[in-house]
Amino acid sequence: MGPPPGRDEGWFTKVYDDHYQQILQYGRRRLADMDAPAELAQEVFAVAWRRRDEVPDRCLPWLYGVSRRLLANHWRARRAAGRQVPITDADVLREPGATGADATVGVADVRAALRSLSDLDQEILRLIGWEELTVAEAAQVLGCSRTTAAVRLHRARGRLIAAMAAPPTPPVPHRRLARS
Amino acid sequence: MFGEQRTRTLLGSADPARELPPESPRLSARELIAWADSTAEPVAARREGRLPRRMVLATGAIAVAAGAVVVLGSPDPPEVELDPADPSGVTAGRVLVPVAYRPGSAEVAAGPRLRALADGLVVAPYENSVGRFTYHHTKVWGDPVMTSPDGRFSVAFARESKVWWTPGGTGRQTTSEGVPEYPDQASRDYWVGLLAVTEAYSIDDLPQPPFDPVLPVDRAGLAGLLKTDLGAGVASVETSRIFGRYAVPRRTRAEILRVLADVPGFQWRGAVTDRAGRDGVAVTFDDRVHGTQHLLIFQARTGELLAWELVTLGPVRMSAYELILATDRTDHVG
Repeated sequence: MGPPPGRDEGWFTKVYDDHYQQILQYGRRRLADMDAPAELAQEVFAVAWRRRDEVPDRCLPWLYGVSRRLLANHWRARRAAGRQVPITDADVLREPGATGADATVGVADVRAALRSLSDLDQEILRLIGWEELTVAEAAQVLGCSRTTAAVRLHRARGRLIAAMAAPPTPPVPHRRLARS
Repeated sequence: MFGEQRTRTLLGSADPARELPPESPRLSARELIAWADSTAEPVAARREGRLPRRMVLATGAIAVAAGAVVVLGSPDPPEVELDPADPSGVTAGRVLVPVAYRPGSAEVAAGPRLRALADGLVVAPYENSVGRFTYHHTKVWGDPVMTSPDGRFSVAFARESKVWWTPGGTGRQTTSEGVPEYPDQASRDYWVGLLAVTEAYSIDDLPQPPFDPVLPVDRAGLAGLLKTDLGAGVASVETSRIFGRYAVPRRTRAEILRVLADVPGFQWRGAVTDRAGRDGVAVTFDDRVHGTQHLLIFQARTGELLAWELVTLGPVRMSAYELILATDRTDHVG
């Protein structure tokens, strides 16, 4: 059984043209490596072509879902390889005298607070706040119900605001990576 | 709706990609199609996506027939009988199977049983301890889940955390990550050759997120904390969160059980043994809208929560679990 009628090169070209920049931005928001977002986008659209019989007509949340899974695998692979993924840069960003383009107090505080949250809290906030999805679309990306996504968003926003209001914590000198 | 716009206003200025210019794709659509077609997916991806439903049901039926109070997911030994020819062995991780109930335990409303349990609670061992720090030892599986690109095969690593916290302090957390665990055999087959399984490792000294150090004592306050207005599923998750964070005193435990007794939808499942081998009593809530089942296991005399589990129905497979392995008060960290 082949792909549904119409899922041909023309269909794919339109999906690619319509959504490439959005998937690229998704990667740019989550990956520090300059080349990695474009590689991620390429892989996402390759999956979309291979699985074209499964891609819904309104495909952006589906593409974000694939992006999220590929990215999770990327981080997991790094951890499995023994390279620790930085959990938070909050301490660095909150250090007095921090410099750089994002050192304006508001942006630094929001990013620091965001990075102090759990992965799931961060992701629902980013999907709504940066990818500008609706709660229903974010639920599709996260593989949960709309109600669950709404509750997660509500809680995550509350925790973000609480983290922004919390006094800066002293920087942690280093995190020990102990092998047991 | 749902505060979407408020979230965008809050986060918009912190968007790291906001000022970045658009970038043309490196490949045209045609070139990408050619690349996608020529790039082979992992061999395991072509295996059967899911266990046939009858096989999953057969597993459950065997468990029930075996006599009931069975933990099919106990950590040791592994549930999956390993193929002697399988070189990956136990380090490849186990396939999880939901906790089994007694046959015929279904369709018994949990309300009266939970109230009776609440009326007879005794003090928990940690209530005889003193110390500045509240201590919890928990084991969590199911968040985050790593899935294959097509979403069919899943794996997650069970994390064990030890947390010490005190009101006004930052506390300390030690988290170690163990071997992978899978919701079904097909996922294990898929991932076993792809994961570079390493030794467990730990991350120490994580700062604690801010939260209210004081639990409400009255029923209305507890109902609000448990979010009972959002239904039994959310209340189940919140119950797990509360018992995993606080050393809940006896009177408050009793009130929590009474609050849960008033939430529609919980079924009494009677005596079970949790994934860590501890005896308890269970209630479940079938969330038919989302096709999931929540399970809570309480210690039968103290009313402490021992475990929460989430199962996906149709086909039945584990989705997440939390075991609360220890609760205490202490003056010593570590």
